[in-house]
Amino acid sequence: MFSDRCLSVLTCLCLCGMPLAVSLAADDLLPPDRPIHEVVDHYIDARLSEKGVTPAPAVSDAEFLRRVTLDLAGRIPTVHELRDYTAATDPAKKTALIDRLLASPDFAFHQRNRLDELLMGDQRKDGPWRDYLLRSVQNDKPWDQMFREMMVASEDDSELAPALTFLKVRLRDVNTLTNDVSRLFFGVSINCAQCHDHPLVDDWKQDHYFGFASFFNRTYQTKSNRLAEKFDGMLKFRDTEGVEKPAKFMFLTGVSVEEPPLELTDEQKKQNDEIVKTSMKEDKAPLPAPEFRPRERFVELALSESNRSYFTQSIVNRMWASLLGRGLVDPPDQNHSGNTPSHPELLQWLERDFVANGYNLKRLLGGIAASNAYTRSSAWEGERPNPELFAVGSVRVLSPRQYSLSLLIATAGPESLPASIAEERWSELRKNWDGAAEGFADRLERPTEHFQVSVDEALMFSNDTRVDRDYLRDSGDKLVGAAQSLEDPSAQLELLFESALSRRPTDDERSIFLGYLQERSDRAVDGLKQVLWALITSPEMRFNY
Amino acid sequence: MPADPTQLKKDREFGLPGIAFCAARVPATERFYFGSSDAKVYAIDLADEKPQAVPLAEDGHTSYVTGAALSGNTLLTGGYDKQLLWWNVESNEIVRREPAHELWIRKIIASPDGRAFVSIADDMRAKVWSAGDGQLVRTLEDHQPLTPHHYPSMLYAVAWSPDGRYLATGDKVGHVAVWDASSFEKVGEVEAPLMYTWDPKQRRHSIGGIRSLAFSHDSKLLAVGGIGTIGNIDHLDGPHRIEVFDWQAKERKLEISNNELKGLVECLAFAPDGTWLAAAGGDHGGFVAFYKVENGESIKAEKAPMHVYEFTFSDDGETLYTIGHGKLATWKLSPA
Amino acid sequence: MTHSHPALSRRRFLGAAAATTAAANMAVVDLLSSPVFAEQLKQQQKRVILLWLAGGSSQLETWDPKPGRPTGGPFGKISTNAPGVEISELLPKLAQRMHHTAVIRSLNTQIGDHGGGATLMETGRREEAGIQFPDLGAIVARELGRKDSQVPDYVSMYTSTEGRRKGTSGFLGGRYAPMFLSESMIPPNLARPEEIGELDHRQRMELRQLLTERFQRDRQNLVVSSQTSAYQRVRGLMSSESLFDIEREPQEQRDFYGPSQFQQQCLIARRLIEAGVPFVKVARAWWDSHGQNFETHRELCADLDQAMSALLDDLERRGLLEHTLIITLGEFGRTPGINPSLGRDHFASAWSCSLSGCGIKGGSVYGKTDEDGHRVVEGETKSGDLFATIFSALGIDWQKEYHFGARPIPITDFGCKPIPEVLA
Repeated sequence: MFSDRCLSVLTCLCLCGMPLAVSLAADDLLPPDRPIHEVVDHYIDARLSEKGVTPAPAVSDAEFLRRVTLDLAGRIPTVHELRDYTAATDPAKKTALIDRLLASPDFAFHQRNRLDELLMGDQRKDGPWRDYLLRSVQNDKPWDQMFREMMVASEDDSELAPALTFLKVRLRDVNTLTNDVSRLFFGVSINCAQCHDHPLVDDWKQDHYFGFASFFNRTYQTKSNRLAEKFDGMLKFRDTEGVEKPAKFMFLTGVSVEEPPLELTDEQKKQNDEIVKTSMKEDKAPLPAPEFRPRERFVELALSESNRSYFTQSIVNRMWASLLGRGLVDPPDQNHSGNTPSHPELLQWLERDFVANGYNLKRLLGGIAASNAYTRSSAWEGERPNPELFAVGSVRVLSPRQYSLSLLIATAGPESLPASIAEERWSELRKNWDGAAEGFADRLERPTEHFQVSVDEALMFSNDTRVDRDYLRDSGDKLVGAAQSLEDPSAQLELLFESALSRRPTDDERSIFLGYLQERSDRAVDGLKQVLWALITSPEMRFNY
Repeated sequence: MPADPTQLKKDREFGLPGIAFCAARVPATERFYFGSSDAKVYAIDLADEKPQAVPLAEDGHTSYVTGAALSGNTLLTGGYDKQLLWWNVESNEIVRREPAHELWIRKIIASPDGRAFVSIADDMRAKVWSAGDGQLVRTLEDHQPLTPHHYPSMLYAVAWSPDGRYLATGDKVGHVAVWDASSFEKVGEVEAPLMYTWDPKQRRHSIGGIRSLAFSHDSKLLAVGGIGTIGNIDHLDGPHRIEVFDWQAKERKLEISNNELKGLVECLAFAPDGTWLAAAGGDHGGFVAFYKVENGESIKAEKAPMHVYEFTFSDDGETLYTIGHGKLATWKLSPA
Repeated sequence: MTHSHPALSRRRFLGAAAATTAAANMAVVDLLSSPVFAEQLKQQQKRVILLWLAGGSSQLETWDPKPGRPTGGPFGKISTNAPGVEISELLPKLAQRMHHTAVIRSLNTQIGDHGGGATLMETGRREEAGIQFPDLGAIVARELGRKDSQVPDYVSMYTSTEGRRKGTSGFLGGRYAPMFLSESMIPPNLARPEEIGELDHRQRMELRQLLTERFQRDRQNLVVSSQTSAYQRVRGLMSSESLFDIEREPQEQRDFYGPSQFQQQCLIARRLIEAGVPFVKVARAWWDSHGQNFETHRELCADLDQAMSALLDDLERRGLLEHTLIITLGEFGRTPGINPSLGRDHFASAWSCSLSGCGIKGGSVYGKTDEDGHRVVEGETKSGDLFATIFSALGIDWQKEYHFGARPIPITDFGCKPIPEVLA
């Protein structure tokens, strides 16, 4: 019998399943030497034509620029970038743009933020951790290496030790730690197997949950906040029959590791306990150095060829989702047999490509961004096709950092921005901006699943004087000031629209907004401010569409 | 031989039923009466071969007994049941019951000449009682019923000067009133607001207050005991704190704040020669500490085996008796 | 629209937007003085005030006194105006109002750390990694709030900093997130800043709405709609600012509630409830009496006794009590054992809470602890049972389900059900 608590199994469809729902022979996939974007379109288009769905047309140059700059640089384009890009006639300008963005300092900052938000969510901010991520991204560090560092970096390596922050902030509760590692790195929400075996899939048991948790069960933090592992300690759990069972060190795939038996004298055991105890009490105590280190074994297992698919699929899928608004496996932390990928071959091809090219996230993102699937318009009249077809572009709310930084750029006077990000000072500027954007970003809610824009946000934009002060100022370095110096209201309006929305006003908009500005001509600055306010609070600004 | 606090050393320890909040010693003996959290008043004689706490009459108090003072054969006790009981300790009888206060009684003391008792309670009144006939002599009112933050205040501490001339009462917010013990006019006041421990931001309450008072033998100095600034007022996690005033000059002479031994200063006493000041109290644990009156320097401080609520010295001054959470302990102060 | 430019007012979108906001401006300002409106509200809506005793108050010094027992502490018990019901002498005013109140003395919720206990008692179920459950306020906001409401659905006040929790709408999303007051007694950003005039403030909102409609037309999307509706609510909510301003209450009303911040916040809660806010939480922190439990409770129970009594009287006088449920609850209770600092520690296996007003059988007591208060001997109640009871008292179907992705989430935790003994 289930206990009351475990009745939740009946509705707990969230689970976890057999390893890798679909596994095709390599021969069935497109050849590995094809460019990523071609493969993406091959599989996406095949499915579309199979379903008889004509996808949305590609977006305009300006819309593409805005979309891809938000996705790869974490901000909207400047007016200069907009004008340069829309004026360029080079047929390969799209690829050149993607390459430029990936090579820009912007990419590292944004990718760092993307990974930080993915891995830390609402956890406290941590300078060394974020610096670690930034350094790693700047050096194109492979994802498997970053994972390894987050799991087992040496505390003595000052460069890498901040990677352990991922574990440290979760140490209070081994269940959270277990589920977060599983969910964030492997795309599996394993928590439902905590209280019960899966009712439908025979081979997913509590053993898996407690097996996974076992790898982290000996991990603790010393008095000096260093991560360490104890010499012993095994989890036990009560199965649904109420029988107590010892856990094994078991990975998601069911593979387990045996701990080599240690014949310790009572004296040695006591000594070991003493070492652990001292490390919890004294700042300078040495860390225990057990022979058997569960986390190291965990990393070995998770990255081994026969087991690594959860790991690789998960990150490939998450990067896909971050550009397309939806995972090939969706939600991205629900990789199980009851929730198969929409395009299994594509996922597998990308996975293979990712591994063959050194777990390189930048390459993957660039490849996806170059696909036609990525360029589709998000507008669709009538009933929208099934989102798993990727027939229509997605509408994605900006992260607080994206929004905050984009507000800075949207409301900056064009003269205060470098004409080109190729300029040397761009790097320094981008770094300063990243810091400057933090304060306002903190005041916005971080989007999670089922995110809705709260009334707090709308009230803040409507009534917090800081918004007016920071974004609507009429000083020369700000957009309102720059627009004010233009004589022609139509030119003013165009500048505001281009700067904030990366487009010119439509005829309809032009007539209404000009009418408004004309009415305000006695207080022209106020008029410009209100127009800019309407632009920066509009959904076109708030969403990547 | 005068007591030497540098020699302070714990001697004997006795387990007691419940929490002993108050005690009175029969002069020239080691016989104590003490009030307990189990609502009983006990007698214990340390001179016995196996000292044991023996309850007095069964139908006494109905809640914590927090005050006990002795005058001749008359023992006065009081507690959270708001009543005072007069006991004849010879006959082990309650001779008089008085619903004395509207709220909980916090402490009872006897005058040095034994002719009067004072009880204090959370109705913020100090009541002076004739020890002989138990009549109410005077009600002293100077303490505000509410704190500046609109919460109920408490009246925790009372002391009689050794020369019998003055009384002092101290409350939760750190206000002390000094009274002429014959006219019962207020003749002075001092403030020790830090002891209030009000936390206006984080937890919005307080747990401190003035918990102890003592006059020097010449009545000039008034020591005020409590707890210092607490980071986390969920616990008694602050330094034990003493302020000594020349109360007539309204001048603070000493400010002692000891973070090594945390908690409330529950009892205070000056040396007969005025050279040192003894304090005891505690948090989860307890302490006894001696300071130089001259400059506030620590002479000796020891952990006590329990939170101490009351202490008293033997007639020769060489033994200190501390009583508190589940225990009575004796300490030696004489040179070995 | 008299101040608008003709070019603007010709446009239908502006006309429509302006009409709603103009109506919104009127609504709340007047309703306090309008008996008709008050009458309508009485017939309509049920509401909740949650008095959250953050840090964990002691059941022994409130609803389940054990005087004379070793665990009982120094305070006595007093009889109440409900026959046979006795509570701590620290709550003398509430004792005279027990005919409104049901006491549950048999909570056994097991989680004894602040964060976990608070999450449990706020959401009615245990935490689950990977899913964030909505708290009671968000559920009530969703179930009892009106979609087009000009007042907030869920206001949460927590001014002390210790253990401060904002509350969460979890998977129900930002629409039901609390309007949170942590610093000031008036929510931030509810007033139009002086720097911008009323006309500009209104017209820029209209310009924004124009851009929104163009964008939204071909992009049906829940998140986009949430932004639109958030901005659409702004002008209405701004007109509810006065609700938070107790300066507007006659002095005798304010005196009636009392001067402490908690008491004043209870007055704000009543103003909000009266204006139709379905859920108001007033957190009183911090009851965590590890040291000096009795001094702490003497202080804080006086605050509670006065504030809650004033609320009961005032709501009753206004005819609102029968529609308003007052829940007095914290994350757990406190140990029967008294520690050497005269404190009580965290205790979640036998503790109490109370429900008053709407849908409640006043003067009832449910459940029983043993003579020293160590464990529940009768009517064991889990957080989910309490929630089911609350839902029932409010007329919310306690067996209702939400959906999180494909997964149905019953609003009452599994295996839990209402307690009929305390329901009217």
